[in-house]
Amino acid sequence: MKMIITIIFRLTVSCLLAGLVMGTTFVLTNKAKKANEFAREERVVYSLLGFSKENPIPESMGMYEVFRYLVSENGQQTIGYLVPLGGHGEDGGFSFIRIDLDAAFVDKTDVALSHDKVREQGDRDAAVQAALGTDKTIRFVEQTVVVTDHGERTAYLLHGKFPGYKTNIAIMLALAPDYSVIGLEIMEHEEDPGLGAEIEQNYFKKQFMFKPFEKIKAIEVVKEPMPVEYVDALEGKIDEAAAADMMKQYKDNDIYALTGATISSDAVSSGIKAMTRKFAYRFDVLDQVIEEQHIGVPF
Amino acid sequence: MATEKTHGQLVADGILKENPIFKLALSMCPAVGISTTVMNGIMLGIAVLMVQVLSSVTISALKDFIHPRIRIPTYTLTIATWVTVIDLSLAAYFPAAYIKMGIFVKIIVAFAIITMRLEMFACKESVPASFWDGLGMGLGFLIGMVVLGAVRELLGSGALLGYDVLGFKPLLFFILPSAGFFVVGLMMGFFNWIEEFYKARKRG
Repeated sequence: MKMIITIIFRLTVSCLLAGLVMGTTFVLTNKAKKANEFAREERVVYSLLGFSKENPIPESMGMYEVFRYLVSENGQQTIGYLVPLGGHGEDGGFSFIRIDLDAAFVDKTDVALSHDKVREQGDRDAAVQAALGTDKTIRFVEQTVVVTDHGERTAYLLHGKFPGYKTNIAIMLALAPDYSVIGLEIMEHEEDPGLGAEIEQNYFKKQFMFKPFEKIKAIEVVKEPMPVEYVDALEGKIDEAAAADMMKQYKDNDIYALTGATISSDAVSSGIKAMTRKFAYRFDVLDQVIEEQHIGVPF
Repeated sequence: MATEKTHGQLVADGILKENPIFKLALSMCPAVGISTTVMNGIMLGIAVLMVQVLSSVTISALKDFIHPRIRIPTYTLTIATWVTVIDLSLAAYFPAAYIKMGIFVKIIVAFAIITMRLEMFACKESVPASFWDGLGMGLGFLIGMVVLGAVRELLGSGALLGYDVLGFKPLLFFILPSAGFFVVGLMMGFFNWIEEFYKARKRG
């Protein structure tokens, strides 16, 4: 009996010690980790849009976040979009637009929220819930960024996550206003090193560049050797303009699968196919509603 | 029952006589799964080195407090704690390295070599001796991983440290996990052969 008590006591103390060490490290490092993640995402956004430190984002450019929610009320589901209001550089508040599953407009509610708080999911959810009233339950689904320059749309930035060969693959996709691909970055994945992990290499992910929406809608993976000239262009071995020309020349081709990693290649292509199709449909509906209802969005 | 070996001998034994991969044949799964390139080998090796040294020192310092009946759970707890600490610190302060090392660091919790060293050495010996033993074992693992990685990267993708050396890919087979066992087996044989060779020369 005495031994059991000793064991329990010592094991408890050990666990508490371990917890203390881990907890302290977590508290000390969490802020730096969050800042790193945010900085990385920002860097990816800049590079996808073709900007860098030497070539900063111009004043005339605006980036507006649109948040998609799922709203349920008495067993009925509607889709809600939280959109900013007002022109470029103005703070016009936010509006929550609800659209039912048949793409018809339901209603529009103004949401009291500041531009700093909209990025924090907790604050945002609370504000939306308060505006809608307590009889509806909301669930945040995803956010999209609409990029404009001089009031004209230039790009959409999408976050996506889909199953890969091992775990989920998280990507960020930049689409042009006509929904053709203008950039792709693999944010997170745990594919096999040397095989599926090659999806983050330029010679794979740059294959999606310039592919038009018509092609993306039906994109497939082919198991064929990649032409050498195309590889050189994707790897950036020739100058930028020539590489872009070469990519445009191959824009109606399917995706060349990675050697030994057909499943990972296919996962990325199908994921992008599904993401783009759904996004194009949803955004066309949202656009139509915004136009019909004369909602003053900045994009 | 303190060890009679000097600190230098402890380190040398970890690298040669008791090399974790080629002599003790411990932690084969992760070693075989990950040693596809030299860089992967270096990354995992450094991570194991750090966890091994930290855990050995901790267990050695706390050896009188750990009840013998529950020593294995305590070892696992210690290793898991250090792995978490290293994982969090890397993610926060070395984000560029973490992108590459992240998945390797987490699997170290299940490494047999670390538990085995704690059980065989650190729970009986003094803190400095455990430090040097941990360092030797970690270095032995690191070197083993680099050698394995070099052979497999060269034969599998025709490159070393990511630089194209051969200009062609001799055998894709070598970067698949199963090929790791072949390479480990051949390397073990090679090490034993060298040992026999030296023994024979000493005698004759």
